[in-house]
Amino acid sequence: MKKVKVGVIFAYLILAIFAIITVYPFIYMILGGLMTFQETTKIPPTLWPKSPQWSNYAKVFAQAPFARYFLNTLITASVTTIISLFNSLLGAFAMVNLRFKGKGVVQVILLSLLMVPGEAIIFTNYNTIAQMGLLNTYVGLVLPFLTSIFYMYYLQSYFGSISPTIYKASMIDGASDWEYIWKILVPMSRGGLFTVGLLSFISGWNSFLWPLLVTNEDSMRLLNNGLTAFASDAGSETQLQLAAATLTVLPILILYFIFRKQIIRGVVRNDLKG
Amino acid sequence: MKQNQTKAWLFLLPTLILVTLFSIYPILRAFLMSLQSGSLISLQWTGFSNYQYIFHDPEFWLSIKNTILYALISVPIALAISIMLAWLIFSKVKHQSFFETTFFMPYVTSTIAIGIVFRYIFNGDYGMLNFILRIFHLPAPNWIDDPSMSLATIIIFGIWTSLAFNIVILMGALRNIDPNYYTIADMYGASGTQKFWRITMPQLVPTLAFLLTMNIIAAFKIYTSVYALFNGQAGVGNSASTAVFYIYNKFQIVGTPGVAMAATVVLFLIILFVTFLQRKMMKKIGGQ
Amino acid sequence: MSNEKFVEVKNLRKVYDNGYEAIKDVSFSVKKGDLVCLLGPSGCGKTTILNMLAGLLFPTSGDILFDGKSVVKTEPKDRQIGYVFQNYALYPHMTVLQNVMFPLTVGKNKIAKDEAEKIARKYMELTQITDFANQRPGSLSGGQQQRVAITRALVQEPKILLMDEPLSNLDARLRLKIREEIRALVKKVGITTLFVTHDQEEALSIGDKIILFNDGVIQQDDMGQNFYLEPNNYFVANFVGNPVIDNFEVELKDGKLVGSDFAIDLADFDQDRFKKNLDEGKYTLSIRPENLKPVEHGHLSVKIEDVELIGRERILKFEHDNMQHRCLVDLEQPIKAEDQVELQLRLDRAFIFTPEGERVY
Repeated sequence: MKKVKVGVIFAYLILAIFAIITVYPFIYMILGGLMTFQETTKIPPTLWPKSPQWSNYAKVFAQAPFARYFLNTLITASVTTIISLFNSLLGAFAMVNLRFKGKGVVQVILLSLLMVPGEAIIFTNYNTIAQMGLLNTYVGLVLPFLTSIFYMYYLQSYFGSISPTIYKASMIDGASDWEYIWKILVPMSRGGLFTVGLLSFISGWNSFLWPLLVTNEDSMRLLNNGLTAFASDAGSETQLQLAAATLTVLPILILYFIFRKQIIRGVVRNDLKG
Repeated sequence: MKQNQTKAWLFLLPTLILVTLFSIYPILRAFLMSLQSGSLISLQWTGFSNYQYIFHDPEFWLSIKNTILYALISVPIALAISIMLAWLIFSKVKHQSFFETTFFMPYVTSTIAIGIVFRYIFNGDYGMLNFILRIFHLPAPNWIDDPSMSLATIIIFGIWTSLAFNIVILMGALRNIDPNYYTIADMYGASGTQKFWRITMPQLVPTLAFLLTMNIIAAFKIYTSVYALFNGQAGVGNSASTAVFYIYNKFQIVGTPGVAMAATVVLFLIILFVTFLQRKMMKKIGGQ
Repeated sequence: MSNEKFVEVKNLRKVYDNGYEAIKDVSFSVKKGDLVCLLGPSGCGKTTILNMLAGLLFPTSGDILFDGKSVVKTEPKDRQIGYVFQNYALYPHMTVLQNVMFPLTVGKNKIAKDEAEKIARKYMELTQITDFANQRPGSLSGGQQQRVAITRALVQEPKILLMDEPLSNLDARLRLKIREEIRALVKKVGITTLFVTHDQEEALSIGDKIILFNDGVIQQDDMGQNFYLEPNNYFVANFVGNPVIDNFEVELKDGKLVGSDFAIDLADFDQDRFKKNLDEGKYTLSIRPENLKPVEHGHLSVKIEDVELIGRERILKFEHDNMQHRCLVDLEQPIKAEDQVELQLRLDRAFIFTPEGERVY
């Protein structure tokens, strides 16, 4: 009995150490963003700001258009999420419920494309967007991401778990496909769609390389790009960089704490099938 | 119901158009561009000279070497730590969801923002990491500014970021193991260690194979974390250049898209090969 | 014009993409207002036929006529049918009322909401589900869900009601009750109904007529009692009847049916019942267990191995040619296990089949 207890204490100890390692950067980021410059660079490191420097945030907003970055990020992440969800939803419906020639071929092509790393096509996509004259536009920022094979595949497995007789029943009841999608499929899959939406929004919020390529005007930058630009410009003003990083991370962190169950469940389900 | 419901294409149309334009076309385009030289507006066919160029470019080999080293070191360490943590959470403690939620945080947060934070944790003078190392009288190197430490720095950061996904997936797999296996093992008096090695690990093999592949592929695509840690550079004097860094550099900065695409094709083939290996491995496991 | 053939199926065939021929040239018709059971073992194609009638499957060839008009090219929603699925297929996110109203609120038949609710409530009254109008299907018992499914199928006032094994998800006692309710309901509404089941007892009790399928072919299309009294072939004789029919392998030689330990003169049979002259060779002599009578001097002598009591009758079990056989006797019969008994076959109620299963007597 005693041996077991030692094991449990040991387990808590290790978990606590790693939990601190995991959480410390976030705490340091949030607290550091409220410290003075001297406090952030002191040895030994300051753990708690003597008096929170809320003015750091005022300085950040004064030095770079973070409100604009915020807005840009919110717009692109939301638009990407809504439209890509809509498109993958329609595609997944067709793949699950309809019978048509060429379905097998479509499925094989989509599954193979799932394996193509985004980094391998991002530069040529930049080229396409540039040729379309869409650099530094919202359209250019979102266009390649308005559908997602990955989420379509996820939704296919979700819809596939709904009994096919539900679709048959709705056909006999006289519902059109459109009515089936909006009155039955979507309400029945709310959980899955919500999770996919969250994951899509988060990855949209955190996107970096693509907006880095297709925007170079300050007014079109997204948060992460604004943040890196700010980090080079603000030079050694550590506390301002940490405040800016907090601005970027905090909204998602809040979203995560509210919907942690849906997000974690979604990721687990997503990837074990992949 | 008709045999061939052509309306299906209507529902698939938006996806198919976007996929053709932004997934299929760019792959083909990348292959073609890798055989061309010149700037984006004036490309000429040059056969395989881009490939010859990259294979003779020490910078390219450094990037590939860094990428491979990064993958080979960070992936196994991260996996091992993840298994340990997932198993401890699963088998030893209450508050499972508390730890799960905590460990998953890095997955949802911006690599760029956290990378900037780590830049200061790694700071040679006033960083928290060196402060702790000095307490234990360990060497406290200059993580950011010393070129010889660049790779170690991105490996540590890479491990920190990849634990989240691994742990959550492993927890899912652990929960899927039929608890009756453990009940029976208890009846025969198996110890905790025996249960771990004889029941848990074999059951985890498919998940581990999956995670290994996902991690290796992710490692080969490493870019953002380097960018964030070294403030847009690939470490001092490009010491921590990676494959994607090389591609970005050749494409956007140097303005030789053909060279960039040749490197892209090489990277693409490596990743495809890893995926292919995974498929084979999974089939072998599934066939047992 | 076509009350006799309100539903007509002509030379229907269905070959699946993988080449499997599920339905082979099936033709039958259904009278208006009748309740017809499609009966058969699982995999016999009965659900395939129902799906083709509903328009959920497209036939490979052949025709389906409702009220004299071909509906093969008609979409399911325009066929004026109701369909009750085996798993009920109720929409889990809607209340019972919403489920029942659904057909009236979508597509071409869309009507004003209060109008729809009025009609829905009328039918819910009929099936007595008004009490849980605002519950979701998940909170209902199997029998209640079943009634909701039927109500939803009826609310559009379809001409034809199709039911696919609607009772198979219910427990035995409820099944008996609901099947009577279903029959009473469809008779009251007066709707032509096709009812798929694998349960012969269910089919016999509920159907005005039964169509028995096997291997995608109609085995018999008839009134219930005829499956018992006059089976078309060996399959029907063995499929219908509980306890199952007793089969004896025999050979026709010199005007006698010779079994392993008995022989019966062909002249002893009812000559009017022979469908043709028999050639010499192998046959199967089949007889229902109640037509085997223990007597002093019978056709064959067997040793009873087990006696089973079923209500007011007993089943005597014995082995013959390494096959289980049964004999049904009155409760009062004193025969017990291990007894040696002489059995008499009621030859005017027996059947003779060729090895191919064709009935010749």
